[in-house]
Amino acid sequence: MNLDSKVPSGPLKNKWSKHLNDIKLVAPNNKRKHDVIVVGTGLAGGSAAASLAELGYNVKSFCIQDSARRAHSIAAQGGINAAKNYPNDGDTIWRLFYDTIKGGDYRSRESNTYRLAEISNEIIDQAVAQGVPFAREYGGLLANRSFGGAQVSRTFYARGQTGQQLLLGAYQAMMRQVHEGKIEMHTRHEMLDLVIIDGKARGIVTRDLVSGEIQRWMADAVVLASGGYGNAFYLSTNAKNSNVTAAWRCHKRGAAFANPCYVQIHPTCIPVSGDYQSKLTLMSESLRNDGRVWVPKDKEDDRHPNDIPEDERYYYLEEKYPAFGNLVPRDVASRNAKIVCDEGMGVGQTGRAVYLDFRDAIKREGQKAISDKYGNLFEMYENITDDNPYEEPMRIFPAVHYTMGGLWVDYNLQSNIPGLFVAGEANFSDHGANRLGASALMQGLSDGYFIIPYTIGNYIADTDLDEVSKDHEAFDEAANNAQSQIDKLFDVDGDKSVVEFHRELGQIMWDKVGISRSEEGLKEAISEIQDLREEFWNNVRVPGESSNYNKYLEFAGRVADFLELGELMAKDALHRDESCGCHLRAEHQTEEGEALRNDEDYSYVAAWEFQGVNGELQEELHKEDLEFDFVELKQRSYK
Amino acid sequence: MADTFTVHLKIWRQDGPEQPGKLVDYTLDKVNEHMSFLEMLDVLNEEIVAEGKEEPIEFDYDCREGICGSCNLVINGRAHGPKDMTCTCQLHMRNFSDGDTIVIEPFRAKAFPVIKDLVVDRSAFDRIIEAGGYVSVKTGSAPDANSIPIDKTVADTAFDYATCIGCGACVAACPNSSASLFTGAKLAHLNRLPQGEPERKKRTVAMVEQMEEEGFGDCSNYAECEAVCPKGISISAIAEMRRNYVKATLAGTEA
Amino acid sequence: MPSFLDALKSQVGRKILTGVTGVGLIIFIIFHLATNLQVFGDVHAFNEAAHALESMGWLLYVLEAGLAIAFLLHAYVGISIWWNRRKARPEGYEKYQSKGGSSHMSWASRSMIFTGIVLLVFLVIHIDTFKFGATEMVTLPGGEEARDLKGLMLSTFQQPLYAFGYTAVMILLGFHLGHGFWSAFTSLTMKHNKYSALIYTVGVIFAVLMAVGFLFIPLYIYFGEGCEAALILCQ
Repeated sequence: MNLDSKVPSGPLKNKWSKHLNDIKLVAPNNKRKHDVIVVGTGLAGGSAAASLAELGYNVKSFCIQDSARRAHSIAAQGGINAAKNYPNDGDTIWRLFYDTIKGGDYRSRESNTYRLAEISNEIIDQAVAQGVPFAREYGGLLANRSFGGAQVSRTFYARGQTGQQLLLGAYQAMMRQVHEGKIEMHTRHEMLDLVIIDGKARGIVTRDLVSGEIQRWMADAVVLASGGYGNAFYLSTNAKNSNVTAAWRCHKRGAAFANPCYVQIHPTCIPVSGDYQSKLTLMSESLRNDGRVWVPKDKEDDRHPNDIPEDERYYYLEEKYPAFGNLVPRDVASRNAKIVCDEGMGVGQTGRAVYLDFRDAIKREGQKAISDKYGNLFEMYENITDDNPYEEPMRIFPAVHYTMGGLWVDYNLQSNIPGLFVAGEANFSDHGANRLGASALMQGLSDGYFIIPYTIGNYIADTDLDEVSKDHEAFDEAANNAQSQIDKLFDVDGDKSVVEFHRELGQIMWDKVGISRSEEGLKEAISEIQDLREEFWNNVRVPGESSNYNKYLEFAGRVADFLELGELMAKDALHRDESCGCHLRAEHQTEEGEALRNDEDYSYVAAWEFQGVNGELQEELHKEDLEFDFVELKQRSYK
Repeated sequence: MADTFTVHLKIWRQDGPEQPGKLVDYTLDKVNEHMSFLEMLDVLNEEIVAEGKEEPIEFDYDCREGICGSCNLVINGRAHGPKDMTCTCQLHMRNFSDGDTIVIEPFRAKAFPVIKDLVVDRSAFDRIIEAGGYVSVKTGSAPDANSIPIDKTVADTAFDYATCIGCGACVAACPNSSASLFTGAKLAHLNRLPQGEPERKKRTVAMVEQMEEEGFGDCSNYAECEAVCPKGISISAIAEMRRNYVKATLAGTEA
Repeated sequence: MPSFLDALKSQVGRKILTGVTGVGLIIFIIFHLATNLQVFGDVHAFNEAAHALESMGWLLYVLEAGLAIAFLLHAYVGISIWWNRRKARPEGYEKYQSKGGSSHMSWASRSMIFTGIVLLVFLVIHIDTFKFGATEMVTLPGGEEARDLKGLMLSTFQQPLYAFGYTAVMILLGFHLGHGFWSAFTSLTMKHNKYSALIYTVGVIFAVLMAVGFLFIPLYIYFGEGCEAALILCQ
């Protein structure tokens, strides 16, 4: 497999502009002759579809939801980073780049990460022009706040609904193009396979989720923006319908899956309350700006938190990391929450929670100021838990939130399959082994608005794209493949529900491929997942029929893919015999319990090539070496 | 742990858009007060699947944290149920008591045809946005974000209207099935910002016309939409829509 | 941009029409009540006021025509909104209830079509009774001959059917105004979060005042001690 990253030569800060000068263009009158498929309508997919259509391409857009406005980008709360330096606190593109690459524990590609920081400013301009109502100062200019992993205030926000506002901006831009006739919108459609003709991605096969019909779609390029795979853990902060199917089916067609073990566990979520729990709810990381994280020093202390005096509280983040305090990166905060709970200091009924306390902030700034900043988050918390966070501390615990891994892409965001581009959380590109807060929105929009529209042009201009037909044997094969998988699911006719399988998979993943991993646990996980997968194909029950709206059938297909991906995640975690960012191998820690990297042996992207499933998942490992020409690799320290 | 309790459910079952539907009775015990309403339905569905006698109940959901706007149930005659400022997915069973009978129906409107059971087609909302619910700005052509200062109160009010999640509860609860709050909210968001000003008239007229074309009813100022809106969007948006419409047509010059 | 007429026919235009005609009708009934209350004034006050109106010549016809158009438009739009609503939700809810809170859903708002139609029917009877009803002639202090409408009113409301029928309709008018006053403000785009509650309260007070004002007269005549004396004075 050829993993050529195609990074342009020259100094870091000139790479993107040099690339833009070098890449080929498609003339305006030729663009309308080309079709592009975009799968997913989140920030990356929505912005890519809108921008490609504005340029003149004929875009076919697909999403599984009933509207392009509902993708899970909508749930991002806290904000979006940009190196505008409006607060005059010394921010620069370099600093944003450096914070991101350091936050990712030096496991991302320098050039991609730098470009992300470079483009960040344009995103803010674009969003404001679309009418995104970012928070403003009384002078009428944009407000910023600080976020984990940074010592500057560079996060733009729209109360606790930044993702919603940015997504609606992209959605509205898309709808404008639907109106112009440049985007053909297909909602309630799920991509089930990628069609490759002459080695190039030329189309997809979908299932109409209402009629159950298997359909074929042709194009000159396919953009996959189908999001992350956090739902492999069953309980996560992802939406219930978020899934890996589109990406996994591409992987099975030959697209390399990179760094699948890099899973971010978000430190501030509402703890689990019972076994009926269907998902976890995140409380924005921005809360750590004003909230103080603590647990009682005394394990046996069962007093109400408000009755515990100051000197009997253990503000473990502030004590261990005086420079960053409560604003350490997510992986550090999550791991420390697990450590104090493992030591028995956890609070709440299950003992799997820590306090996030706003008492001091309310005393300092007043309830109104806190409510202005976090009002909707506080309401959400109270609604779910029935506790009032203005009066007593929140109880929080980490939960799976974001996956840094994804399909391997080069500098053009093209996978190793020509014509298959991957954007947003679905690719592996910019965050390394850990993503900083407020960077997901930035990456999704950067990929969609400002990178893919150029690089797709380069591909189309540079490639011989022969006429193809939907009757091509590759389409037949893919459509049959999709249909037979569905038939196979019904044929099992067992007696265990899809949800039970998913929940069991999630438990294995959380226990053994979660916050902390060990060789022994990972090996167990691999064999348990294999057993579970076998049981699934012998005993799953899928109710209803395929020619109708059938959510259980949709889930069955997705869980089948998670049962394969889960094994790959464990395999990847097992092979990466080091700790880095979110990937903590219990065998590799500093004395202070920090991730201990092994740059000598593991400074590479692990890109897995699918070989088949035969009881065991067969995957071949390929490596893209990471070269750091501009930053010096250091042990991360937030002390 | 909290005690579990029992509820009696009357749930609308309908095989498809053309088939007739009816309320079907179910009884569910083991309901936990901390469960969300949708988790309660998940548990019921698991029982239905285990029994294998009928198909599980179809209902829409996605984020389950009150922001995506997918979930849409009319619970005991109220869109999104009894609690203010709350989506169905954020409604918890602690709002119900042991022995309660709960009637669950889909959002009903001609413009929201039933797909199956409690799932409806709300694409009419997309077409209203498509008619003009945007600022026509091409990627890459934007000026610096701070080049136009905007009064904080204006930006904050625009945000209040922009929080609409497009769930359709306003339509479901309106005795006339009017989409005026949805349409008005998007107009009130974009029309008051300097970025949205150039297209204000065109946008207002186009969206109002599309709303009618989709088969939504008239607004009679019941204000029930405001009461059920999970984001608490004010019907001032509707008055503002009318004002802009009048300015654009009856009182205005050709734009 | 749509033409003026098309704009008026749109959902927003229709609502503006309802509001404008509604405000016109509100102004009319204020005058109507003011005139009615003359019955408690000087012996001839009521007939003088009525005679002054009838002597306006062409201006009266213009006002009457305007009023008729306002009534008919108001009724037409109201009925078409009601008709649309049936089309907009062909299959109703098995169970429906208001969420309360900031909702203005009430018997008044939900029964506009009913109270409106009752008022429409009432109007026909009312015009037939008073505008076209046979009356004696009286000589006013100024020497002019005028229709004795006061006499007609007093004799009409001696009859229980009229007295109580009018009273009932006036209660319905109160409900119609209770929603209509506030709604007209909102339809005419005068809706502001700060003043909304105030306008609604003023509307309810206004509706009660109008209804009480109007229904007081028939009840007073039917039950009142003053009626016999009044009758004598008139003759």
